[in-house]
This record gives sequence, C-alpha cells and structure tokens, in this order.
Amino acid sequence: MHDIVDLEARGVPGVLVASSEFVEAAAAQSKALGADPARVFVAHPIQDRTDAEIEALADAALAAVVRGLAGDPD
Amino acid sequence: MNGGRLPEGLVAIVKRDCPTCQLVVPVLAKLAEAGLPLTIYSQDDPAFPPGLPVVDDTGLEVSFQLNVETVPTLLRVTGGAVVERTEGWRRDKWEDLTAVTGLGSGLPDYRPGCGSRTVEPGIAEALEARAGATRLRSRRVAIGALEDPIEACFERGWSDGLPVVPPTPERVLRMLDGTRRAPGEVVAVVPPDYAECTVEKVAINAVMAGCRPEYLPVVLAAVEAACTDEFNIHGILATTYFVGPVVIVNGPIAQAIGMNSGVNALGQGNRANAAIGRALQLIIRNVGGGRPGGVDRATLGNPGKYTFCFAEDEERSPWEPLAVERGLKPGTSAVTLFAGEGSRGVFDQLSRSPESLTRSLAGCLRTVAHPKLVRDYDALVVVSPEHARVFREAGWSKARLREELVRLLTLPGAEIVRGAGGIAEGMPEAFAAGAWPKFLPEGLLFVHAGGSAGLFSAIIGSWKNGAAGSRPVTREVMV
Amino acid sequence: MTDQTLLDPTNERVPQPRARAPRPARLDGVTVGLLDISKPRGDVFLDRLAALLTRRGVRVERFRKPTFAKVAPADLRYEISVKCDGVVEALAD
Repeated sequence: MHDIVDLEARGVPGVLVASSEFVEAAAAQSKALGADPARVFVAHPIQDRTDAEIEALADAALAAVVRGLAGDPD
Repeated sequence: MNGGRLPEGLVAIVKRDCPTCQLVVPVLAKLAEAGLPLTIYSQDDPAFPPGLPVVDDTGLEVSFQLNVETVPTLLRVTGGAVVERTEGWRRDKWEDLTAVTGLGSGLPDYRPGCGSRTVEPGIAEALEARAGATRLRSRRVAIGALEDPIEACFERGWSDGLPVVPPTPERVLRMLDGTRRAPGEVVAVVPPDYAECTVEKVAINAVMAGCRPEYLPVVLAAVEAACTDEFNIHGILATTYFVGPVVIVNGPIAQAIGMNSGVNALGQGNRANAAIGRALQLIIRNVGGGRPGGVDRATLGNPGKYTFCFAEDEERSPWEPLAVERGLKPGTSAVTLFAGEGSRGVFDQLSRSPESLTRSLAGCLRTVAHPKLVRDYDALVVVSPEHARVFREAGWSKARLREELVRLLTLPGAEIVRGAGGIAEGMPEAFAAGAWPKFLPEGLLFVHAGGSAGLFSAIIGSWKNGAAGSRPVTREVMV
Repeated sequence: MTDQTLLDPTNERVPQPRARAPRPARLDGVTVGLLDISKPRGDVFLDRLAALLTRRGVRVERFRKPTFAKVAPADLRYEISVKCDGVVEALAD
C-alpha cells in the first residue's frame, strides 16, 4: 500500500488489488498512513488456484479496477 | 510563581515544621512592621507564620528555583536577582542583610536551620523530573485522577497483551540517565509507518517494557539493527510466517547488566533478557505501528514475539563469540538480530563423538522450514555447554562444525523436488538434478548458551534469507 | 489523587486523510502501469488484466518490484510516475 500512496501523492491514480484475507490489514495500513487508496479485493485463496481460476478472478475484478482508475471519485 | 521574576527586597523561605523558623517569627514580624519589602514563602503551611502575609510554596517551585537547602533562608533580591543570602538564624548575618539592627532581642545569637523540603528524598527527584521534563518533547497524555494508569495503557493500545509500566515523565527521565545520547536524537526510522524514533521514544517504550536505565544502550543498538534494510523488520512484521526479531547479546555489557546466558537462557525469569526483547517489540508496535491484526498478519506467530533476547555464554564457550565471528573486535559489546521463529529442541544424550553429535544436529536442522526446502532459510544453533564439550574435546572449531553440517545436509535433487516423496511442496524442477546444500555456510549461526547440565541444544529457524528476506545484523552497543 | 501524566510511546501521527489524486474521465488512450509485487500467481492475474485493458483501448506498461516485502525502489516509483497515468498494484496475498 505504501507504493500506491506514494504514487497517489505524485498525482498517479492507483488501485491496490489484494486477496480478501487482506481486508483488515489494508484498513489498518490506510488508517496509519492517513490515506484511503482505492482497493479491490479478490477471493482468497490465490496460491493454489489454476491459471483459469486466476484469470476468472481478473475478469471479475476488472470493473472495480476500472472504476478505481477513472471516472467520478467515490 | 513559575520561573517568573522574584519579588524585590527581602525574601524568606520557611516551614512550620522547623523550630528555627518558629524562632525567627518575631524577627520577620519586626521587619514587616518596619515597612521593608518582605515576601515570606511557606513550604508546608500557608498559614505559617501567623499574622503575616505568606505566599504558598507548598508546590516548592520557588524553593527549587532558589536552590533552598535549609530553612529558614533569607535572601535579598535586587533587580530581580539574588544579591545576598543566609541560612538558619544568625543575628549578625540577618542584620547585615536587612540593614536593620537590634533584631531578635531575647534570641540566641545563632541557631542552625532545618532541612528544606526540597531536599527530602523522593521530593528532590520529582522536582528534578519536573524541571527535566521540559526537555522531553513527547506528547503528554493526561490520565484522569480516578483512572488506573495500567488500564489506561491497555485502553490506548500500547500494550503487547501484558501489563506495561506506565511511562511517567519521572520514569522516562530516569531511563534517559542510561545513555549520554540526547533525547531528541533520531535512532532509526521504524517500519511499517516509517516513523522517526528518537532516543526519547525508545526510553518511553523501554520504561513500559520494564527496563532499567542501564539496559537502554542495548535497546538502542537493537532498534538500530532492526531498522536496517538488511534486517528488513518490515518484511518480518508483514509476513504470515512465524518469525520475530531475536536479540543475542555479546560482550561485557551482558554481565554488567545481569543478563542470563546460563540455566533457562531462552526462558523466563531474568529481567534484562525479558525487558530488552520486549522493549524492541513495543517500539515496533508503538512507534512503527506494526500490530497483529494490522500489518502483522502472522498465521501463528510464536511466543518469542513477546520477547526473545538472551546473552551468549562466552566464558565457557569453546569458540569465539558470535559478534567476533561476525567481524567485531574481541571485548566489544554488541547485539546480533536474527529473524527467528520459536526454538525447537535437539535431544542427544548419547553422542560422544563430534561426528555423531553433528549428525543429530543435521537430522534436526533438516526440518527447518520444510525437509525438502533448501537454500532459502537460515538457522541459529544454540549449543549447550554439555554438547559444546563434545566439540571442545575433539578440537572442532565452529568452522569445522559448519562445514560438516553443510556437507551432511547436501540433499539429492531427486528427493527435494516438488512431488518427490508424495509431497507437493519442495524445490522447483530446476533442482531435480544434482545435490543441493540446505544451508549456505553463512546461513548457519552458532551461539553457546545454557545451563551446564543437559545434553540438549536448540535450533531457531529463520525467515527466508537474502535480499528479499532478512539477513542477521550485528551492531555495537555504545554505552 | 491528582491527574497523572504519561508520555506518549507512539509515533503520534494524527493522520490527516489525504485526498486521492484526480482521475481521468475515461481510460481510453491512457497509459496504465501494472505493478507486480512478485507474489506467486500475481503475474497470471496481471497478464489477464493486461489483456482485458488492452482490449478496452488502454495502453499497458508492465512493472515488477524485486520483492513484495519492501516498498518499491525509488527509481521504479519515479519511472511509473513519469510513464503512467494510473497504476494497478497486484496481487497482495
């Protein structure tokens, strides 16, 4: 998250994609950093999924990623 | 009155609980009647002396400011500065100072005074603390009069789960006596928040951990070592793996502050061992912002994350100390930080030869991380005195032991690749041919510690090594 | 009993929530950086995202940081900030 926050501070909109296990850690980090970057969560687990499963996660996440990068701020 | 200007003219400091002060009441009355500018401060009772205007100095601010050691003290103030002073009752001195003759008729010529309240034990320290506290820059947190300070620390999230010592300004000032470094000096930048950690912040957390001031230099060195890129405390904190920082202390400081390197060296019971390791964890938590459930997402963690700090037994070791092996001059006090999980035991009560004992160690070391994983994980071996004796008697150096272990743990690729042995975990296919050492030589560290009875040693496995993980860091302790 | 004072052991950061960088109205013609944090399988995810974004008319640049365990090196962040109008960092697990 530090990277995204750093890039946002340089004017580059960013989106962090993380597994659902990361929800609390991400909330804690954003609070500590004093920033609220866009985040998209995908369903855990990640590591033992097949390629096809991971691609499906990407398909499902696309809309949220695009919303995080362009258009009206939430 | 708080460091403001002193009243002009005569100033008297008295306390009711002092026979000499009682003795001079008529003298003060006469000076007042004569119309001289006279200000009387009372240290214990603003109604004393009776019948005269008295300023309440039960807070002892003025007495402290004037360095009063005896009461009564009589001073002359001109232009805001003390130009003359006298202690106790002496007619000639009082007459000189006041330029009034015939004082204290009926009184003896001389009577010594009593101790000022400012020099009473406990009070003196608190007053010093109040003065010194102005050089401390940390935010003050007010705890209500009815609040329990220990509970307050829990509620504010400052604790590791166990009670902490409430960090009052007095305690922190006393802790800062343990170093010559200035409180405002920046020691390190602490992940994950990358916050600047000053000597003062280290001292506050050291107080909370239960440190004595003489431990502070060790804690400072540990914080410096932990926050290096090489050690990568950020990674250690954020990993789901078991590890936390393990602190090994070498050199004269260990004995000087009463650390334990003997019986139960990795266990509880020794204040220095317990508090130094704990202080480091509290700093990571409070200054760095790294907490479980927050950035710390360890799946299981290990009990060493409360505290894991011990000293090497150098005196009885057959080998050079860890810090010396890692490049410091003999006799240097130092800390070595190691990213370690909990310790596991090595049982060997029958090996008489170094070859046999080494094989026992190798058998146990094989399981660091996973029996089929090589290269990426290090280990710290804590060799106990009884096991060390086997190596001493055979004349084996650390280098010899290390070489032997690396050799014994060079594993055939066919055994360690993924899928081998019916186990999915393992090394990638590229490792299938040839043989691979589980440990790089620099990945095995040895420390000598433990009680003199017991044919057991311990292994502390590490987080992954190298640039992506953590490497041990040794840092000199500056006393 | 009087009020007691303790010294704050924390880094005392009272975070002022920082506003996000302004976003472009649309993504076509924009360059989006995909930053791989080097956790396993992240590349598969980002490969797919790259394909999907390219199909939408987004120019995609790929980046990879050496290890997920540390912040991205300064020159990598600089490069991204110069080359890209947006960035996606994946896949934290």
